[in-house]
Amino acid sequence: MRSFIKKDLLIFLRDWKELLTVLLLPIVLVVVLNFAFAGLFDSDDEVTMDLQLAVVNQDNESEVLGQLKERLVRDAAFEEQEAKMVAEAAEEIKPVQLLLDYLESDDVKEWVTVHHLEEKAAAEKVNEGDLDSMLIIPQGYTADSLYANITGEPPTSSLIYKIEEETTTSSALQQFIQGFIEQLNYQFAIQEVTDGTGIEAALPKGGLEDIGTAYDFNMTQYFTIALGALFALFVVATVAMKTGVEIRDHIFNRILLANSHPIRFLIGKMAAAVCLIVLQILFVLLVSHFLMGVFPDRSFVFWVGILLMVVLLAFVLSGLAAIYTAVLLRMTSVDAANGIFMLATLLFGTLGGGFFPIYMLPDWLQQIGTWTPNGLFLAILTEWIQFEDPSTIVQTSLYMIGFFFLFTFIGLALFPKRGKAQ
Amino acid sequence: MLETINLSKSFKGKKVVQDLNLYLADGESVGLLGPNGAGKSTTISMISTLIKPTSGRITMNGVNAIDKPGEIRSVSGVVPQELALYQELSAYENLKFFGSIYKLRGKELAKAIQQALEFVGLDDRKKDLVRTYSGGMKRRLNIAAALLHRPQILILDEPTVGIDPQSRNHILEAVRTLNQQDGTTILYTSHYMEEVEQLCDRLYIMDHGKVIAAGTKEELLRILSTEDKIKVEVNKLDEAFVEQVKTIEGVHKIEVTELQLKIIAAKGSSLISKLVHLTEKHHIQLLNFQTETPSLEDVFLHLTGRTLRD
Repeated sequence: MRSFIKKDLLIFLRDWKELLTVLLLPIVLVVVLNFAFAGLFDSDDEVTMDLQLAVVNQDNESEVLGQLKERLVRDAAFEEQEAKMVAEAAEEIKPVQLLLDYLESDDVKEWVTVHHLEEKAAAEKVNEGDLDSMLIIPQGYTADSLYANITGEPPTSSLIYKIEEETTTSSALQQFIQGFIEQLNYQFAIQEVTDGTGIEAALPKGGLEDIGTAYDFNMTQYFTIALGALFALFVVATVAMKTGVEIRDHIFNRILLANSHPIRFLIGKMAAAVCLIVLQILFVLLVSHFLMGVFPDRSFVFWVGILLMVVLLAFVLSGLAAIYTAVLLRMTSVDAANGIFMLATLLFGTLGGGFFPIYMLPDWLQQIGTWTPNGLFLAILTEWIQFEDPSTIVQTSLYMIGFFFLFTFIGLALFPKRGKAQ
Repeated sequence: MLETINLSKSFKGKKVVQDLNLYLADGESVGLLGPNGAGKSTTISMISTLIKPTSGRITMNGVNAIDKPGEIRSVSGVVPQELALYQELSAYENLKFFGSIYKLRGKELAKAIQQALEFVGLDDRKKDLVRTYSGGMKRRLNIAAALLHRPQILILDEPTVGIDPQSRNHILEAVRTLNQQDGTTILYTSHYMEEVEQLCDRLYIMDHGKVIAAGTKEELLRILSTEDKIKVEVNKLDEAFVEQVKTIEGVHKIEVTELQLKIIAAKGSSLISKLVHLTEKHHIQLLNFQTETPSLEDVFLHLTGRTLRD
């Protein structure tokens, strides 16, 4: 077996054209695409926003206790004494102050500048374009929102957010404020369940962290992984195509005549594919990393995880190499077989996000793409890069192991019996 | 002993080999002779167990080799007509790979490689990539790859196609050495008559998928023992003269090349006096007149009506 693997490795490594294609081309493309797509996507990644927000606070906190107590007695049939106690406890929450604190927190003030203005002045500045948006906290808002949370009824007043022109940043701020309100309501709900003991209203964290990731995932990382996997598909096609040369030159016949079991030939191809793919992807990832700092400040465990996932992909693709090899041995035309492999590579490459970001495809194509070997690899590495948590990649890993067995089984099933190879 | 009994092979309904009966005794050197398309390579492929015959049997020491291909594979080495070599590997790497698939390991493998390289005269170029070799060197390496496991039977399918005379002589000498010194049984196919004449004890002549004659060289030549081969050179030729020569009693075949006639005629057919008479009649000057001993080429011509290179 070792001689089969060594032979395939030597042949591949002496093919300079092929080496340049699968090793250097992906790196060149990572660099080029990184620049080409930088303008299109980087705004989502590294936000350099400076949003000018006018806050118009029409609510008077000094009136909250009285308003809330009166309403509890009037509308919610609370006893006077009970209403007073509840209102006094609720008053401590100060949702408006929490909101203002949130807007002026370190995370948010990096991209939002708050201006406290009267409604008229704020409206004028927004209209003139001096400010981007305004947030109106209506009169009685605190009492209303606290009443709504105590009684479970829907609030009758709400924050008013006005923007002159809808932009990504102003919409994002609106979502942040909405998220804040929901978070606040959630804290109220917890207080009710726990009878209000030991719980303080906690502010949600601002910035990009609110989606819950531990690390950012950027376009350079995307292209490095996607192109590494895409060119691994080319390695698979090349390994199979070398079989075409062995058939054309009657070397395969010589191997058969040596009484060597043909399956050794197939398994040799698979093993060579595993070695070549691991070397190729690691080369692309490491060189890209050293050139562009693709994975900065990552731990040893992170890199071990990367290695394991690359090996996993290599096994899946070795199964694909088995299928290609078996198909080639069955076909009368090596050229036609090569054409089919290139088409399959382009198809997998496109669906699996190798040529452009997968989310640029329609949803149904994205769904199909996630079931390609390179699509799965992209998904699993995306998870690993963001969370570095083995539990997040277990399911995808199992899918990949399943693909390996499925592909290998198909390859073995298609592998021609004696005298059936063309 | 290796034997084929009524061996036939059809491709898409067309019979390429028909009822071929052939045997190879231990230590023999047997030639399979025939023009291109005669079915030699298909026969070799079946005998070497690469393809299954449509009908018939192949036995190796009495064991059915179609059901048990290992019987032949383990004791035979096949030199295919094509250069079955990895062009991107060196001669040494090629032999190492082919030796290892014959399950040779370690020192045994190294020794086999060294012997094979020396045998074909490529020891000094063993580290060079095969793609840098000349055609003759590649042919020699092609043979070396089949010798690593020291086969008892060596099957060579046109091993000298398209190479220089020096490499050709080297190959022929090597095959002769294997047969005469090492006792290797040889099955040698070629459409070069002189190679087969030099190397082989017995011959099978194939045409259109059938064996049309078999035997030792002497036995085959005896087919023409009742005939004379006469070469005639004249100063000019015309069609009427040639047509009249054909009508001479006892003339079997005439081959015309420029100012030369090769005539195969029955022994004692008093051809000379009749030819002299005809040349005078047609005012043609007889320049040269020579009676030749028939060769295997003539036998082939006699049997098939065409030359080996047609």
